[in-house]
Amino acid sequence: MAPRKLPKTDVLIIGGGWTGLTAAYELTHAGQRCVVLERGKKRHTATSFGAPEEHDELKYAHRYSHMMDVKKETLTIRNNRDQQALPMRRLGSFLPGSGLGGAGIHWNGQIWRPLPSDLQMRSHYEDRYGKDFIGPELSVQDWGVTYEELEPHLDFFERICGAAGFAGNLGGEARAGGNVFEGPRSADYPNPPMRQPISNTLFGEAAARMGLNPFPMPSANVTKAYENPYGAQLHPCTYCGFCERFGCGYYAKADPIICVYDQIKDHENFEIRFDAQVLRIEKSEDGKTATGAIYLDANGEEVFQPADTICMNAYALWNVHLMLVSGLGKPYDPETRTGVVGRNYSYQTVAGVDAFFDKSVETDPYMGAGALGVVIDDYNGDNFDHSDLGFVGGGYIACKQYHGRPIGYQPVPEGTPKWGAEWKQAVRENYNHHADLVVHGSSVSTPENYLDLDPTWTDSFGRPLLRMTFDFPENDRKMSDYVMQRAMDVAREMDNVTSVSGTNNAAVDKHYDIVPYQTTHNVGGAVIGTDPETSVVNRYGQMWDHHNVFVFGACLFPQNLGYNPTGPLMGLAYWTLEHMKRDYLPNPAPLMDA
Amino acid sequence: MAKLYSRRAILAQIALGAGVAGAGLPVSHAFAAQDDRPWSFFTDAEAQWIAAVADVFIPQDDFPSASQAGVVDFIDFQMATAYGAGEGLYLDPPFPSGAVPEQGYQLKFTPAQLLRQGIEQAGQLGDIATMDATARADHVEQMSERDDIVGTLIAELWKLTKQGYFADPIYLGNHDYAGWRMVGFPGAHAYYTERVDADKRSVTPPPRGIAHDRGGTPYPPRAIGGGSD
Amino acid sequence: MTFRTVLTTCSALAVLGISAGFIRAQNYEAAPGIPAMEQRLQDDVLRFNATVNTEVDDDVLELGRLVAMGGSEAGDSGMACITCHGGDGTGDGSGAFPRLAGQAGWYTYKQLKDYASGDRQNRVMSGIAKKLTEEEMEAVAAYYATISAPYTPPLGDVDGMTLQWGGQLGAVGSAERGVPACVNCHGPSGLGNPPSVPYLAGQYASYMEHQLQMWKEGKRDNDVDNVMSAIAKKMTQHDIEAVSAYYNRVRPTQPLPPETSPLLEPSTAPTQ
Repeated sequence: MAPRKLPKTDVLIIGGGWTGLTAAYELTHAGQRCVVLERGKKRHTATSFGAPEEHDELKYAHRYSHMMDVKKETLTIRNNRDQQALPMRRLGSFLPGSGLGGAGIHWNGQIWRPLPSDLQMRSHYEDRYGKDFIGPELSVQDWGVTYEELEPHLDFFERICGAAGFAGNLGGEARAGGNVFEGPRSADYPNPPMRQPISNTLFGEAAARMGLNPFPMPSANVTKAYENPYGAQLHPCTYCGFCERFGCGYYAKADPIICVYDQIKDHENFEIRFDAQVLRIEKSEDGKTATGAIYLDANGEEVFQPADTICMNAYALWNVHLMLVSGLGKPYDPETRTGVVGRNYSYQTVAGVDAFFDKSVETDPYMGAGALGVVIDDYNGDNFDHSDLGFVGGGYIACKQYHGRPIGYQPVPEGTPKWGAEWKQAVRENYNHHADLVVHGSSVSTPENYLDLDPTWTDSFGRPLLRMTFDFPENDRKMSDYVMQRAMDVAREMDNVTSVSGTNNAAVDKHYDIVPYQTTHNVGGAVIGTDPETSVVNRYGQMWDHHNVFVFGACLFPQNLGYNPTGPLMGLAYWTLEHMKRDYLPNPAPLMDA
Repeated sequence: MAKLYSRRAILAQIALGAGVAGAGLPVSHAFAAQDDRPWSFFTDAEAQWIAAVADVFIPQDDFPSASQAGVVDFIDFQMATAYGAGEGLYLDPPFPSGAVPEQGYQLKFTPAQLLRQGIEQAGQLGDIATMDATARADHVEQMSERDDIVGTLIAELWKLTKQGYFADPIYLGNHDYAGWRMVGFPGAHAYYTERVDADKRSVTPPPRGIAHDRGGTPYPPRAIGGGSD
Repeated sequence: MTFRTVLTTCSALAVLGISAGFIRAQNYEAAPGIPAMEQRLQDDVLRFNATVNTEVDDDVLELGRLVAMGGSEAGDSGMACITCHGGDGTGDGSGAFPRLAGQAGWYTYKQLKDYASGDRQNRVMSGIAKKLTEEEMEAVAAYYATISAPYTPPLGDVDGMTLQWGGQLGAVGSAERGVPACVNCHGPSGLGNPPSVPYLAGQYASYMEHQLQMWKEGKRDNDVDNVMSAIAKKMTQHDIEAVSAYYNRVRPTQPLPPETSPLLEPSTAPTQ
């Protein structure tokens, strides 16, 4: 049966998270009638995420109640092309969201800007270290958009979130106490930094003694009562320790529902449909444009929603999947290294260092927040000399106190048995005397890490599953190990520390493992750029092959930087929306010549 | 005090200890080893087997063992509800052989099926009920190293045991906040703005769960022969 | 001066104050005995509730009682706590003065500090607080924190719809107004989140309404980061009345020991 056809709308937005709701806000106010299709349920920060019910570690942190349902949609995974990819049968390594607000509900609220050199990764390294410094096994490339161009948009998103922090580079002037490596800011953070617990403070003191540059982690856990530019009211953080994987009923973690949705939901040009699972995007007969999307509505009926312009605002992986099942753009082929959709998938290289204190330091780990940390950026990006290191990229080192939820937080020193009486004793003795250091590193792209469609398994809608082929590149293993050693140096320098141990997800003898949680920072696969041979969208986020399709989110990253992606991807979103409003909508045509 | 429920012996069980002080020494149970409240999922024999394994993972010391804290009740309830039935688990065929560990769980069983069939197969590897504490620990260690359903079962049970010991008591484990008191976790009601940057706490807040005003959970753990009783 | 010397000195002064013939609005004999309060301090919950900066013992409680009766090192303050708040911390029945019995010790102490410094504005309380020493503030706060007193019946009537709305705001807040639920911070059944978040259950509605008004108008702003103002500003007059009336009527239930739980019937257990 042919899908029921609805009247045409100006803009169709696929996905009701940070980028989708922001697109709806900005385009609605530009006079466009916007329809948002959200695959999940309606929910609200006040009524759905309140304590104490929300503070249910089992339900949200381990049964993943806010996350996508793999029974409906999942992917297959393999480390290399010689393996058979098998389904990710349970969530583990990463946790995409579902429902109003998307993963923006359960993020930690770490709100970063890219380093200027991050956005010009290839040209920057080639300029500084020579043409051959980036080896042929890496497909690292420039973003095609510069820090200077993104700065006003990064700044605006920080204002939307009421970000808390301390500028380290205000208009080109370095300020001690902030991140002295960051690009110039046009303004300081709208709110002062978070209060730091003893563990983070001791880390900062040690780092400073070593001549490094500690600063408070930039945070979308708000520190003051605050009104954002859209009129949303945010409240100060309670340091409750239920942040990542949870919604924040205190109104203290910036999320897309309170920051954006509440401010647009009553607008006459705005409509959102829940339980609306988009199945594919339809193309015009000449294939040059998209005509709309077919989705399953809440009753399970197939509906066709035509639109003049389509915004793809799903999670990074599902944007790529939707392109592949809809035939948008040319799929990447690793044999010939041609095609672009699925190319340059990358991830995040995460290592951890555990520092254990003597009994005189009581950390009270349950007092925490998602972005409660002290950071050094001395080993991130190209903030340090790579000449003799044999790798590109880097990562930040942060001492974080983000939760003490006891199912998940059981730090024990190296050598503790995996269970039994000694383990139990060690958990009891160390719970309150531990500092959690993370090495949050970049992830370079390679021709062998990519996304395509699986030949065997299908989702519950009958579409082939996305297939992920990924392992950590040698470059990243070296990088991660190097920065982890630096983190261990700082940990050993910390006062009252009695033992230090490290674990690296990208260790030399390990393959990428889909089971342990690492981070929900899947990036690439539909990357931004200036060359249609190596990017899916032009530098404005517009598809080269279908000019009325705009793409948002971390799928645009040509490789992953050392930071958490929400800040950079929202900077890109506002950049794209500015060009849509100013240049595209008055004259719908390609914004760049292919 | 009048008993609100009657108790009977499930099985005459030899008291086999798994205490910290010395393996093999009997450890007194926190409550009587008799209880006739029915299980939601387990048979009595399965519950005893789970209790024995769970108490190897978390034996009694100053704080209760896993089974004493209600971990078996927790797992029983999990198996009888959505998690046990495979919520959040993609089980579409095929299930080819040759999976590497990095690809994660690749069996065709729901957690409830895994536990039932796994316990049955584990039973063929030895009778844990007749072993002393040292032998039990060795047996669990050996089972955990197996590259078959029994190995997967042990990994799943270790995960569930930690969850049962530390989850909010509304799920029937962490009885009397045993796990939370052990580490000093104050629970679901959390407001620390004024204290987060103070470097010395005065007194640990006593734990309060989601349903604290109703006493966390009114259900004491079922008494099970088979654990470290 | 050691803490113990301070204690002895002010005890002596306090006794003098009482013997000077100050007229009591209430009979202080009704105040709970120190041994009973000391007994209650064995409970972890109460210990946490009562702890200020000093470990609470019977000397502290004794000092606290004397301060409550109107004595301070600086001399008679002219008005004793018990005049308005009662010897057992249940107020004077008018509803104008808050219930203090069982209130988190650190919270009460912080309010006294703020009254003294002017961070919380109240002419009467500022005059009283300014005369108290640090130790006296701690002691009297701990004293009231350890009292278990009966609840006074709510004053006045409220219609069912208002009460229901108050309960809804308390439990789930309002997405429409952007008001987070009270329970987020004020604990299960409005029991409070010691040390810094006060209980609401059983508090006088008229006191609570007045405070919410002051938060709303910015006349009270002595909480951390001013969160109560941000919330109260989003509340209507009706919201304020509803939530105050609701919490006035909430009676915290202490957890029942498991063995006596009425839920524990074999027939209610899930069957296989």
